Amino acid sequence: MTHSIRTRLLTGISVGMATLLITFSFVIYGVMRRSLINQFDASLLSTARLLEASVEQDKGNISLELEPEQMSEFERTDHPTCYELWQSDGTVVAKSPSMGAETFLPDNNLADTPVFRSLIMKNDRPARAVAFKFIPRMADSEKRKDDQSAETPQVTLVVARDASDMEHNLRFLRWLLLVSSASIITLSFVVGGFVVRQGLAPLNILAGEIAAIKENNLTARISTKSLPVEIQPIKDRLNDMLIRLEASFNRERRFTSDVAHELRTPLAGISSTIEVALTRIREQQEYQAALSDCLTIARGMQTMINNLLVLSRIDTNQTTFRNDTIRPAEIVDSCWRLLSHRALEHNVTFENRLVAEMTCNSDPDGLSMVISNLLDNAVEYTNEGGQIWTQGKQTGNKIEIAVSNTGCRLTKNETPQVFDCFWRGDTSRTDTGIHCGLGLALVQRIITALGGSASVEVLPGGIFTIRLLLPA
Amino acid sequence: MRVLLIEDYRPLQTSLTKGLREAGFAVDVTGDGQEGLWYAMSNDYDVIILDLMLPGLDGLSILSRLRAEDRQNHVLILTAKDTLQDKVKGLNLGADDYLIKPFAFEELLARLRALVRRSYAKKNPSIEVGDLRIEMASQQIWRGKEEIHLTPREYALLEYLAMHTGETISRADIWEHVYEFGSSASSNVVDVYIGYLRGKIERPDKPVLIHTVRGRGYILGAQQ
Repeated sequence: MTHSIRTRLLTGISVGMATLLITFSFVIYGVMRRSLINQFDASLLSTARLLEASVEQDKGNISLELEPEQMSEFERTDHPTCYELWQSDGTVVAKSPSMGAETFLPDNNLADTPVFRSLIMKNDRPARAVAFKFIPRMADSEKRKDDQSAETPQVTLVVARDASDMEHNLRFLRWLLLVSSASIITLSFVVGGFVVRQGLAPLNILAGEIAAIKENNLTARISTKSLPVEIQPIKDRLNDMLIRLEASFNRERRFTSDVAHELRTPLAGISSTIEVALTRIREQQEYQAALSDCLTIARGMQTMINNLLVLSRIDTNQTTFRNDTIRPAEIVDSCWRLLSHRALEHNVTFENRLVAEMTCNSDPDGLSMVISNLLDNAVEYTNEGGQIWTQGKQTGNKIEIAVSNTGCRLTKNETPQVFDCFWRGDTSRTDTGIHCGLGLALVQRIITALGGSASVEVLPGGIFTIRLLLPA
Repeated sequence: MRVLLIEDYRPLQTSLTKGLREAGFAVDVTGDGQEGLWYAMSNDYDVIILDLMLPGLDGLSILSRLRAEDRQNHVLILTAKDTLQDKVKGLNLGADDYLIKPFAFEELLARLRALVRRSYAKKNPSIEVGDLRIEMASQQIWRGKEEIHLTPREYALLEYLAMHTGETISRADIWEHVYEFGSSASSNVVDVYIGYLRGKIERPDKPVLIHTVRGRGYILGAQQ
């Protein structure tokens, strides 16, 4: 099921509005009805009281004497009021002419408090009736003579009045409330729809802008100024994401172009070596020299590609590292053995000052790769007749290994770049053609993967140091 | 023709130097930018082959400095930088040609020869002096219908003389354009090579082509 904010908002608004209106209508109707009935009943009761005042008893005879102007109300036929008066034994004392042959059934449970009820008259018209018992007033002569008379017969009076006008008003009120509620709900649906559409318009604008951003144009930013505050954070987060994406894409692009660039030069070396060799018929030694040059270049390219693969495997978490107890001093020695002949060519001396007993828990292959890259880098950049040395110490739960060399020509500003892929410091000796600026990038990735860190430091006098911190 | 190769990638340096020398160029070579600038300032090279990413001083800086000093040498940029912006930038800074690595050595040679011809305002890749014909593209020499085989150095000498047909060329000029840095420093070498060249191209039954101008140098021409 697709969720639509518009549908949800509209449904919410409409249901809320309908509930509110229906409740409100019921309350209004209830209050109005009660008030109309109360008014009606009050008028009915006052008529009944007038009738009550007109009932007299004289020596046991009960009579109802009405003035002619009072009678008019009970004689009309359009909205008639009728009454009926019973004695306690059930005999009818009097009844209004409008009732004709009809009769109300006396209720024996009545008390002297008036009881109101709704009823339907014989002509199917709605009516309200009030009934109560009372002791009729004594005729004047009787009162004087027999004040203490115990015989005080109760009579029951029922007065009913046609309530069709009131019912008509209530029906009108019901209709009015229903129609107005329905109109308001319909209107709110239409207006709500419009407002919601207007309110959600910035989302469409935003979507349009996002759709316009293609992967080859990540410099674009969502620039709409007039976004509502609720959407502003989305825009900001999206722009932040675009900045990160752009940086990442640029890094990727630069990396690819760097790889291509780094491969072009050795390729040019191979092709021109072969081409020059083929320009004429040569001595066997010349062909051998050319082939040997090509092999050296090919091995250099192979090293570069291997390094790239290691980098890529680390970046995609495809490399698993062991956790053995190892002695860094031994690793340094074994790595140096492979480089010592190159150092000798440049009269570079080496000293391993690491304590032989120092141990740490790490991956021996990973650490070997790190150390050999660092030493290789040092041999590459140390000045003719310079020095390389390694130092180490244990502090708390960390061990520190530092590889230093003399002859550094880097400035302080350049030091953070040494870990970048393909970055190459200024050097007078890049003649191996193999060194392609991946070594230190590899060192940093491996050390990070081993849970450590690498930092670089250039001291006065051209001393270049790479410091590794590893869990002990 | 004398060429300066500024390229820090050793295998390329080696093969290019070898190939260019075999093609009759005198080649000076360095892998350092600063040194390259010094070479370029101190000699009148016919063409400078310039890599861009160099230790010491980058190629574009070398180019700018050369042009700022009003040096007229032809410069061919030889680089792995292949974007349009790189090319435009290099050419706008005063380079005469731009070749991207990897490249065909034949193409490099052809472009170098074209630049050399431009240096001497020669459009035609074949030069004729009397009945002597020099095909610069194939480095073939004909005297009448007879093909003459020369060593690279002899060819370079003849080509240089042919570029200045009818003009007197001093030994110093020949020295500067035909011999590279570190060649045994004796002006006598030029005379010796002129001797070799005469031995190969002059014919007793044909007019003399290489004439000695006493005290000034040599001249290549059908008539003196």
